[in-house]
Amino acid sequence: MTPEASANAASVSGERRELTAFRVGDQEYCVDIMSVREIRGWTPATPLPQTPGYMKGVINLRGAVLPIIDLASKLGLPSSAPSARSVIIVVQVDDRLVGLLVDAVFDILSVGQDMIQATPDIACDRTRSTVRGLISMDGRMISEIALERLLPEGESLAA
Amino acid sequence: MTDLDDIKATFFQECDELLADLESGLLAMEGGDTDPETVNAVFRAVHSVKGGAGAFGLEPLVRYAHVFETLLDEVRSARVIPSPELLRTLLRAADVLQDHMVAARTGGGADEAATAAMVAVLEGFLPGHGAGPDAPEGAEDSDPFDFKPMLAGDFDFDAPAADSPGEPGWRIVFRPAASLYAHANEVATLLRELGQLGAMEVHLVDDALPVLSDLEPEESYLSWTISLKGDVTEAQVREVFDFVDGDCELLVEAEQAQAADLPLDIDIAAMIAAAQRPLEPLAALDAGPQADFSPPAPVPAPVAASSVAAAQPAAPARAAAHEPAHAQASTIRVDPERIDTLIDLVGELVINQAMLAQRVAQHGFAPSSDVVMGLDELEQLTRGIQDSVMAIRAQPVKSVFQRMPRLVREVASQTGKQARLTTEGEGTEVDKTVIERLAEPITHMLRNAIDHGLETPQERLAAGKPAEGSVRLAALHRGGRIVIEVADDGRGINRQKVRQIAIDRGLIAPEAMLTDEEVDNLIFLPGFSTAASISDISGRGVGMDVVRRSIQALGGRISISSRPGEGSTFTLSLPLTLAVLDGMVVDVAGHTLVVPLTAIVESLKPRPQDISPLGPQGSVLAVRQTYVPIVDIGCVLGYRSAPLNPAEAVILLVEQEGGARAALAADAIQGQRQVVIKSLEANYRQVEGIAAATILGDGRVALILDVDGLIAMRRREPMASLDLNPIAAE
Repeated sequence: MTPEASANAASVSGERRELTAFRVGDQEYCVDIMSVREIRGWTPATPLPQTPGYMKGVINLRGAVLPIIDLASKLGLPSSAPSARSVIIVVQVDDRLVGLLVDAVFDILSVGQDMIQATPDIACDRTRSTVRGLISMDGRMISEIALERLLPEGESLAA
Repeated sequence: MTDLDDIKATFFQECDELLADLESGLLAMEGGDTDPETVNAVFRAVHSVKGGAGAFGLEPLVRYAHVFETLLDEVRSARVIPSPELLRTLLRAADVLQDHMVAARTGGGADEAATAAMVAVLEGFLPGHGAGPDAPEGAEDSDPFDFKPMLAGDFDFDAPAADSPGEPGWRIVFRPAASLYAHANEVATLLRELGQLGAMEVHLVDDALPVLSDLEPEESYLSWTISLKGDVTEAQVREVFDFVDGDCELLVEAEQAQAADLPLDIDIAAMIAAAQRPLEPLAALDAGPQADFSPPAPVPAPVAASSVAAAQPAAPARAAAHEPAHAQASTIRVDPERIDTLIDLVGELVINQAMLAQRVAQHGFAPSSDVVMGLDELEQLTRGIQDSVMAIRAQPVKSVFQRMPRLVREVASQTGKQARLTTEGEGTEVDKTVIERLAEPITHMLRNAIDHGLETPQERLAAGKPAEGSVRLAALHRGGRIVIEVADDGRGINRQKVRQIAIDRGLIAPEAMLTDEEVDNLIFLPGFSTAASISDISGRGVGMDVVRRSIQALGGRISISSRPGEGSTFTLSLPLTLAVLDGMVVDVAGHTLVVPLTAIVESLKPRPQDISPLGPQGSVLAVRQTYVPIVDIGCVLGYRSAPLNPAEAVILLVEQEGGARAALAADAIQGQRQVVIKSLEANYRQVEGIAAATILGDGRVALILDVDGLIAMRRREPMASLDLNPIAAE
């Protein structure tokens, strides 16, 4: 389903969604709160060989091995070394858990589907492939991440 | 799932065990075991299957089992001699019985033609049918299709006891001991069976029954007096009680007079119905149990009590109740998921304990301090728990081995060969995760041994061997691994032919110098199959290379050794569990990695004069006059761009599948440790050169090396120039 189509479908139903909003560099993004499993502080990750640069590695999440995606690097933004103040958002996509490394979580938004706009065509491919849509909120722009497209699996298929 | 489905599932589980007993008994007889108890055990297995099947109304199964049982009974009573031919037939009959079981379980129908053919063969062996299977069938005395399974409700217990004075009869006093119930026998079943011999009248004797407060739930208080009319021999009567011999007092005497002084008349049908009632809600009790008893008994307590059994353990009338036997069973069935959860939790406990110990050490507590000593005890306890929990999931390989005799028979008959399978070490235990993976490679190795290894009977006789080939399947523990051997006494590997095929298919160079062992192991190469035509048996599109790959994926190895004219031996070794692994913890460019201990031959600090450069960046190490390529782990994994100076490195000498060696260069060795294997694929995906991950004492994830994969990577891209993700040390 294209973002436009999903936006139209939801505006008819008037359904509202809750989104977790966070900062990556000086930009603001959000993900659907229903896919967020937990939010935790940064712990050093074990790097994995033979992986793209945005894969920070894996950490121990209570006995499970959790891959960490550096969202800044994935979005093509300048990536800085994670600090003690960095945050990992653990999200569930299908039956997998993935950690997203972001700078800070700042808000929980409640938006109607009609508030979400399609990603403009001029955005570069990398952005268009990871951003589902844009939300205008109090004069700020917050982009919704398309979680299912973050997974390395989808990428390796495309490659 | 309803109660009945539950019981049915249990029945099928028991049938699996019974069929396995049947098969092993028949194999023992084939091997010359003449112990009457073996024959009895075989008979009992079929009989029990038939009995259970009857209770579930599985008619085709019952009819077939009945014919089978009839013949076994003849063998048991020595009226039919168990010739080798007969035993082979019985083994095939057991296979058909198993097919019926499978059909019944899946709800499908059994192969009727095969059944009818087997019935004909079995009947051919019965006395009066001639000695051979070709004898004509159709004698009236053993027509199997007369047999009808008796459901409790079907049985006409109200049939009047024939009391015409002239008719012969037996008076039977039957007093079960507590052990009869403990052995899961049922009085109701016995009485029902007795009732098939003739008209009978049953009286319950409850004199010994104490008052409720003195009642011992595990004790047996009831006895029965049965008067049986009809043309029945004493032997036939005693046979009914065959299974409970020793668990009861039994008196069988020719009928004299009606025992008029029996205290209590009771309707068996009602009693059975009442005894089965614990399965139903207790509400039935409120409805008044008396309603069920045709002659209102003066003291209905013993029977009524059985319907209270579900709520009150003090139930004397356990005539048909299964529960006491189950309570005394020495094994319990547990949902495997619960054990898996437990194993995961214990794995985390071990990691947490290690983290705690590490933190305590960092705070500089003295080794003699209470904290450190307490932690040491905790460590011992956690290890103990881990071992015990792993032991719960350990299972003997018997469950896999017992499927194999049938496979051997089938493959042998398809290839026109004669093969005898012997098994050893069936009690060898391995983790369930490994057991599940064993059946396929063993199946392949056995198929291969019979199809390619064994010669035809004519060839064998010409070579001075017995016509029947022998295949040995053995399991043993060796060096923390399970080793499975499949050995045949066939012709051995034709090395010339194997070599020629390998050359023809471009697998080796024509001038390659190979040792005998290397030639033998060529059969594991992808694209190798010696069968001229793809047969149903060996050439299912799955070659030995696939078997080897699937075994390697589990951290196992497979190899073959062969002696021309004397046979070949496949040797398969696997870790005992796929949940933990013994590893060498090493430092590589600031990263901590685990190398599986099974791959490491030795670790050493090389002398500078043993290292020779080879090519632009490579080098080799001289180990006892052989040159072994040095593989820099850090370079291959992209942890660093320039290789470590081998003279400053620690070398882990590893052996690959197929025996080739390599020297892995690391910065330092931390030590040897047992680690819990964690999957990378669960949340991410497979990473080349990495087998899995684990969690170390500091709580961080460490990667477990896939040695073969690592070496393969290095071969492909000599000395990492990987621009993918050159990870710098942190």
